[in-house]
Amino acid sequence: MSTADPTVEPRRTPAAGRIPLAARLGASLRSLLLATAAGLVLAGIVHIVTILMIPALSTSDAAHAYGTLGTGGQAELIASDPRGLPLPREADPATVTAICSYDLRAGPMRVVARVGTLPLGLTLHRQGGGVVYAITDRAAVRGVVEFVVMTEEQRDERVARDEEGEAARELRVVSDSEQGLIVVRVLARLASDRADAEALASGVACGMAD
Amino acid sequence: MRVVHLAYVIALGAGLGLASAHFAVAGRPLLGMIEIGPWAAWPRSGSRDIDPYLRAYLARGVHLPLGAGEGLELIAERDDEGRGLDGRCRYRLTGQIPTTRGWTLSVTDADGRAFRLPLDRSGFTDAEVVRAEDGGLRIAAASWPQAGDWLPLPASGRFQFRLRLYDTPIATQAGETRAESLPRIARIDCS
Repeated sequence: MSTADPTVEPRRTPAAGRIPLAARLGASLRSLLLATAAGLVLAGIVHIVTILMIPALSTSDAAHAYGTLGTGGQAELIASDPRGLPLPREADPATVTAICSYDLRAGPMRVVARVGTLPLGLTLHRQGGGVVYAITDRAAVRGVVEFVVMTEEQRDERVARDEEGEAARELRVVSDSEQGLIVVRVLARLASDRADAEALASGVACGMAD
Repeated sequence: MRVVHLAYVIALGAGLGLASAHFAVAGRPLLGMIEIGPWAAWPRSGSRDIDPYLRAYLARGVHLPLGAGEGLELIAERDDEGRGLDGRCRYRLTGQIPTTRGWTLSVTDADGRAFRLPLDRSGFTDAEVVRAEDGGLRIAAASWPQAGDWLPLPASGRFQFRLRLYDTPIATQAGETRAESLPRIARIDCS
């Protein structure tokens, strides 16, 4: 039961009609500062999320570039790939690099490297960055470096299958990502060592463990 | 008015957040870097507990960093007195190399690529250098020929020295390494 007439403007007090300019400027400045502070907080969140998401979203990393190498059970040299794969950035020109990509969804992978006289290193690079494991030829037993790469669940299964009280006869390496790269690097000390280095690197076997 | 404020907040947040993330990982991040004299290293780049900035930097390109148990890469962009390395100058690298199974020393650009120089030598390995009587190094780096072990430099512009130590015990304790146990980089003169 309103009796207000819309055609009649409400009566204003003289003070309400004339808000001082300083007060209006102050209110605008406060609102701008508040919006800027909110923007900075949002920028911090965007910054952190972006940094954390780059490894998961990147398709130009080593795992994508070399994901097809070594799927046949033998490490493959990057430099001699006929598809002309990109060489690793910041790579040492005196080393020879071969790759075995792994996918543990099908089961654990056994890596066997025969060592020679040239320094040889094996590293596990998980997808999304980070080196899970590194071993050199100084750990060789009877001229062979051998280990099995597996996930946490596959390790638990193997431990459950182990004979009671008997030590496992294999070196087990747990990868926290199902996919990644096993990188074989051999240092060719002299230019004449390069053929030997390539033979050592490409001689690394990486097949199913079972 | 509220829509304008919201647009401002989103534009500021997204723009500043994305731009700062891009610049933070455009080059090797300062986080996780250790300095030993003129040499810098990122020992956690090859470990399981790599920090997020280094991980993002490495994921943006085809990188295969040395594993922590495999070796250590040291990068120098400055000489012993803190001046940027310049191809117009002559440098002498002297001193010792830490205990290692093998090492290489090379000259690269800021992205780690070797320069295309008339002489096909971008570095030395431990088997290729002549050592002094005390077993120390004595390598001359310049863009014009030098007596002894000569490492050719580009005729001008910035460059880096990269020292890679393979199978070295200092890879896991790089932060405690003293500058005296790494080669010194002295500028002799400039053309």
